[in-house]
Amino acid sequence: MLKTVNFELETGEVHALLGENGAGKSTLIKILAGAYTADSAKIWFRDKLISGNYGPKIAEDLGIVTIYQHFHLIPHLTVAENLSLKTFVSDPGWYVNWRTVQQRARETLARLHFAIDPGARVKDLSVAQQQMLEIAIALSKKAQVIVMDEPTAALSRPETEVLFGLIRQLKQHGIGIIYVSHKLEEVKIIADRVTILRDGNNVATLDAKTADLREIIRLMIGASPTNEPRQGALPREKSIFSINKLQNKHFRKKLDLVVYEHEILGITGLVGAGKTELSRVIFGADKKISGEIRFAGAPISLRQPRDAVKLGLGYVPEDRDSKGLCLNLAVRENIGLATLVKLKGWLFDRGAERKLVRHAVSSMRIRAQGLDQPVKYLSGGNKQKVVLGKWLAAQCKLLVLDEPTIGIDVGARQDIYRLIQEFRREPGHAVILVSSDIDEILQIADRILVLADYRVVADLDSIRTDKHQVLEYCTRRTATPAV
Amino acid sequence: MEPSNADRLSRFRAVLTNQAVSMLLILILMWFLLSLLSPYFLTVGNLTEITLQTAVIGIIAAGETLVILSGGIDLSVGSVFACSGIAGGLIFQATGNLWFTMAVTVLTGAALGLFNGLFISWLRVPPFIATLGMLGMARGLALILSRGIPIFGLSKEYLWIGQGKIFDLVPVPTLILLAVFALVFFIARYTRFGRFTYAVGSNAEAAKLSGINLRWVILGTYALSGALCGVGAMIEAARLATVQPAGGNGYELLAIGAVVIGGTSLFGGEGNVIATLIGALIETTIRNGLNLLGVNAFWQYVVNGAVIIGAVAVDQWRRRL
Repeated sequence: MLKTVNFELETGEVHALLGENGAGKSTLIKILAGAYTADSAKIWFRDKLISGNYGPKIAEDLGIVTIYQHFHLIPHLTVAENLSLKTFVSDPGWYVNWRTVQQRARETLARLHFAIDPGARVKDLSVAQQQMLEIAIALSKKAQVIVMDEPTAALSRPETEVLFGLIRQLKQHGIGIIYVSHKLEEVKIIADRVTILRDGNNVATLDAKTADLREIIRLMIGASPTNEPRQGALPREKSIFSINKLQNKHFRKKLDLVVYEHEILGITGLVGAGKTELSRVIFGADKKISGEIRFAGAPISLRQPRDAVKLGLGYVPEDRDSKGLCLNLAVRENIGLATLVKLKGWLFDRGAERKLVRHAVSSMRIRAQGLDQPVKYLSGGNKQKVVLGKWLAAQCKLLVLDEPTIGIDVGARQDIYRLIQEFRREPGHAVILVSSDIDEILQIADRILVLADYRVVADLDSIRTDKHQVLEYCTRRTATPAV
Repeated sequence: MEPSNADRLSRFRAVLTNQAVSMLLILILMWFLLSLLSPYFLTVGNLTEITLQTAVIGIIAAGETLVILSGGIDLSVGSVFACSGIAGGLIFQATGNLWFTMAVTVLTGAALGLFNGLFISWLRVPPFIATLGMLGMARGLALILSRGIPIFGLSKEYLWIGQGKIFDLVPVPTLILLAVFALVFFIARYTRFGRFTYAVGSNAEAAKLSGINLRWVILGTYALSGALCGVGAMIEAARLATVQPAGGNGYELLAIGAVVIGGTSLFGGEGNVIATLIGALIETTIRNGLNLLGVNAFWQYVVNGAVIIGAVAVDQWRRRL
């Protein structure tokens, strides 16, 4: 994967590592963690060349701690137990001293000003809280270097601010941070330097404060990105999909929503505002208690996702690995799945399926080693294209996308935007785009609904608003989280 | 990217790393070694005997494959086998009508399988527990229905199912075995139900969000597994000329063994049906070989269990390559 990479991190520095998926970021941080072995590498730590076989043990002894995108927490254990897992392993004794465990947890959390109950089970925490806990664990290991892989992927804006505050605190203690992210604006805010990887080489190291965003993107993808001109709200002519006075276990207050033909309706809000819950109701994955849903002019009943699929809805869930894909099935089988659901009868034509999928793969530029490659071997961006391709192949009319570009590189992101634009131009088509990335919503959506506390608090025309205003609506009605 | 070329390449690689292919090589190697050790092994008579002995377990294992592909497990096959055999046997005693008997045997198996599916999809009982419960219930029903007494007096036509030969050469059970595998292979590969079975086994949540009716798939796989237990029960009864309420004991070990020796993943979504046939043939060959070599019959259980563990260990090792 990696060809030649030179990388340097100073004491108390935040050094961002940028690059498309497949550029070698993950490989590099895994080598640093000792999870992968480099064919040849020289590693210096505090000006001393590390001798011997560099592995997980040495990385740990040096204080290099990696916080991966997918958390390594144990969901059924409490916060305190997760914080003490390391000592459970290393302590020679036979029994657990629960008092020390509790005390250690309280001290660590207090030192970092985290308002998490040490007795709470990890599975009940929000993603942001889990992220914080990962950092707390890293610090309890006496980290010198912390590697963060997409730390803000699941965080809302205020939570990101809290994380940045923490990072600045860590800097002051002389801890070096390697910050891997796709969110360039964030990188400019938090990083001191950026190193850009492309195709397994480092192409440039720049000063983060003075570097130009377009320049960074150009270095990452090797070409300038083309931006679709923003369109703004479309004439509200023909409604494709509408919800009238929806109520269910999440949405206590009655909620209304309309999507018009050709429209990209953006839905945004902070974590916990009800974005994913709303998208699940739209697709029939969560039940409604009352309210009317209309699709293409007629009232419909959505008891399960199957009803939505048959009517012509498509759903790209937030977590593609656990909800969007059959990971050990082939690209062909995944893309063909929704089409197959819509067919009638017992049999299906394998040749027609192959043709359909081949067309999807080439028009969507999915990089795979053939149609029979299991999707688990694809990169994040290509996986997401497979999920999207499943619905495009099934010729759905309304696409519901929940965080479709999370953890995806710039190139694949542009491809997905292009596909969304192409899709919505077809007659009778519309898109509901759920995203916590306000820049994305502003760039792609024609109209923006802002959710807060399970209510629609604003309905904005995307060219007549800006980030500031959207954020204001997002935070206006946020309830204080119970601790 | 040249799609067709890449396709061919990945397919070629898939063949090389396929558990079915490696197990087929092992089967051939076993036959070769046994033919050196025993002059009797490589005779038409003995090889025919192997397919004949494979028939019952093979047919049950074919249904078990679908269940395991869907991410489930069916521990009840041995008891469902006995219960459907007894139900059919009683009908035969009462009516003497072979067609009616066949229908009742297979449908009893399917009904018991359907109950497995209902426990799992409606009551949300994990497959392991649901079918473990059925293992007890179906066995009990078999004993209650028959009052614990084996059924005898099967007609010549009934016995032909297990003992007949086509052209004086190919045993009828062997033909049924091939027909069942052809059918299950077809279902797995060419029907929507088959594809959905793989999808549900691979990721039930993603399958549901793609619009697949999970209940339908679960009910279908378990009902089919039960029905094939009924088919197996008819053959065994015909071979032994009796229906035993205590029959089929331990068949779940052999059936699940055949599936995993064939390389089908117990996590679901990965594997193929023909590999199960090879797995069942390997099991029978081992039994047959141990017999020919004069090894104590009790050792067969030990060897069989060890082979299952060994096969999965090899499979795990191969997947890491």
